[in-house]
Amino acid sequence: MTKNRQQPTRYRPGKAEIDEPHSEDESEESEEELEAAPRAPAPKASSFPSQRTLAVDLSKAGQQRDTAPAKPKPPEVDLEGFVTASESSEDEAGDGSSEGEVESSAEEEESSDDEPKKPMLRPTFIPKNRRTQQTAATATDGAAEAERVRKAKADELLRAQLERDAAAKAAGRKAWDDDAEIAPEDEVDDTDDLDLEAERAAWKLRELKRVRRDRAAIEEKEKEREEIERRRNMTDSEREAEDAAFISQQKEEGEGKGKMAFMQKYFHKGAFFAGDSEQDAEVQAVLNRDLAGARFEDEAGDKAVLPEYMKIRDMTKLGKTGRTKYKDLKSEDTGRWGMDAGRKRREGDGLDDRFRPDDERGFGGAGGREQTGANSMPVGERKRREDEGGRDGKRARYD
Amino acid sequence: MVHHADAKKALDERGYTGTLLHGDNPLKLFEKAVRDRIVDSYYWKEQCFGLNAATLLDRATDLSFIGGTYGVAQKPTPFLCLAFKLLQLTPSKDIILFYLHQEEFKYLRALAAFYVRLAWEKDEEVYKTLEPYLADRRKLRRRVREGWALTYVDDFVDDLLVKGRVCATTLPKVNPRGFLEDEGKLEERVSALGEELEEMDEDSGGDESEGEVEEVGSAMVVGRGGGDGEVVSDEEMSGD
Repeated sequence: MTKNRQQPTRYRPGKAEIDEPHSEDESEESEEELEAAPRAPAPKASSFPSQRTLAVDLSKAGQQRDTAPAKPKPPEVDLEGFVTASESSEDEAGDGSSEGEVESSAEEEESSDDEPKKPMLRPTFIPKNRRTQQTAATATDGAAEAERVRKAKADELLRAQLERDAAAKAAGRKAWDDDAEIAPEDEVDDTDDLDLEAERAAWKLRELKRVRRDRAAIEEKEKEREEIERRRNMTDSEREAEDAAFISQQKEEGEGKGKMAFMQKYFHKGAFFAGDSEQDAEVQAVLNRDLAGARFEDEAGDKAVLPEYMKIRDMTKLGKTGRTKYKDLKSEDTGRWGMDAGRKRREGDGLDDRFRPDDERGFGGAGGREQTGANSMPVGERKRREDEGGRDGKRARYD
Repeated sequence: MVHHADAKKALDERGYTGTLLHGDNPLKLFEKAVRDRIVDSYYWKEQCFGLNAATLLDRATDLSFIGGTYGVAQKPTPFLCLAFKLLQLTPSKDIILFYLHQEEFKYLRALAAFYVRLAWEKDEEVYKTLEPYLADRRKLRRRVREGWALTYVDDFVDDLLVKGRVCATTLPKVNPRGFLEDEGKLEERVSALGEELEEMDEDSGGDESEGEVEEVGSAMVVGRGGGDGEVVSDEEMSGD
């Protein structure tokens, strides 16, 4: 009552488990006191649906909880006349009748332990003259009524379960197979020799298909080999001619497709799905259709004439903060598209002569200048003038 | 071979010392996911405990459908569980051939054929053993992912020989028949149609020109797509 709930004794190794007897006695005594008063007859074992029926259908577990009676015992009559609103509401829910019944403390304890805690409401006082009227009137009726209802439900459940078992046994259902109810085997009939001719014909067809498949595979291989042989035996010029023809044919096919609009989004569904030859022709046509020429309805005809700000792939992002300034890879790239990649960059390329490293002298060719400076320029050939500047060239002239 | 009722040792990959198939624990022919589903299923726990070849025969005669895994939770079929048990037991060739020769029980035959394709390592043996059953035209019920399908024994055997993935298992690679024929290990398949086929050939050769027949053949090739040198791998999801 006011004592704390008894926790289960914990196992401590080395210590013998002692059940505390005095606490048990106390609670028993209190129970007996309450139960000394005349009480409704204890419920019979049969009124409570057996475990079997309760455990019938796990899928209907939720429903069953509700139908099973909330209280195994009928409520006890209390001498003091106090009615707790919680219990009265419980009774109404369960039996639909009495309000004057109070459970024993033990049961209250039990229910509060086992079931989710109901909000405890303020007890209301019923004076003595009114107490027995209500309780007596409704108690027995309510109890009997409840019992009958419970019994009927239990019987029904039991009957349903038995029927189901019988049906299952008759159908040979396996205990491990829950899905036998959802998708019964009988959807597909595998009895043979229903129609001998038809079956034989069907088998012949299948066998023929297999044979044809095998033969086709062999032929395909043969063709490959022939093709290889043929190309080997051709001269170079013939090969080139054939290649040119093939390429021009490809181009023709390519021209038939629409040209990609300026900055159109390109969608390629991936190489994994290419060449899936088991699909219908329709499906293949749909999957391989040409998207380059596709236009949206309200898309600008040609993005090239738009101002730079509006040249974006996804026009929904226009004007929004979340739009990035990134346009496309080519415009953002700072490189020169691979031109720089192959060249071996010498160290002293962009540098002034003064700052070039010393060992950068043209290896393997004519050596670099040993001497730098104006005076170290190699002396070239004198230019001989035609007129007589040679003899008198540097003479002082006083003409 | 010591027979353990529980055969847990076979499932434990670490210390496996039994027969090896394709160089590894036979149970590894099934993928980990499928193995887990099988071992957790009720059928395995109830019916496949402590089986030997004889009691497995009893279970197999009770089979009523083939299939891999089905449903949202990838539930394994009893067929698959028994195949797994066969892999665990790795019975001898005679026993398997005995299973195959049973005319009366077609699902037992299907089970044995499945095992032959999985377990036997010599390609020629696989082809030679399974090809006679391309003449068995009985119906088989097959559990697919959602519901049921109808197939035939010869269709199933053909799938085993040609496809890459059957009944939730990736079949071990086997050389295509063409390769083996070229190497000389096998001879060309003599179809069960036999004489009728020859008659049909004569008819078609007489009436139409050869070119037309070839065109028809090549049209079939486009549909098939995988004739040259690789096992046609059908990426089937678990149900098939």
